[in-house]
Amino acid sequence: MSFEPEELSREEVQETVEETIEHNEVALFMKGTELMPQCGYSRKALGLIGQHRDDVATVDVLKATDDYRAALSEYSGRETIPQTSVDGEFVGGSDILEQLDENGDLAETLNA
Amino acid sequence: MDAHEVEARIESELTDAAATVSTPRDPDDDKHYAVEVVSSAFEGESLVDQHQLVHDALGEHLTRDIHAIELTTKTPE
Repeated sequence: MSFEPEELSREEVQETVEETIEHNEVALFMKGTELMPQCGYSRKALGLIGQHRDDVATVDVLKATDDYRAALSEYSGRETIPQTSVDGEFVGGSDILEQLDENGDLAETLNA
Repeated sequence: MDAHEVEARIESELTDAAATVSTPRDPDDDKHYAVEVVSSAFEGESLVDQHQLVHDALGEHLTRDIHAIELTTKTPE
């Protein structure tokens, strides 16, 4: 395993986005990793999902931020990070997760 | 982009919209805003579609000039 920064092509990023969304019930595109989130909003999204699921697939967009924004935009229509998908459907960013949590709807949205 | 510009942009793009923009971190921070929008455009729309309308109103400014908005959307009482 290498700890060098990975060079990702635009095609690889596109593929990562498609496959992650397709093959995981709950996916989170975030800045940083599960262990070290690099943005408060990504940390918040991770924490909210973590209350209900311990099997979220996370993708660190910082490896190729602009390409991830472009690929995510094609899928969800928005390029802001974080973004959550459940069963292939775009759910939203951290504000929407928080609002679902306040309304008591988050567990259901996350199929928990 | 300052808070007044963010408000003006949202209010001009959305029907009957009233936007309130504040700076949750630091009064001089022009990268992170808390945005509350009341608009009749949200009626009948899902939460994610309501957020999308505001994101669309800000267009490329969001992520280019502004790092993030903490967004709350409401319909008029």
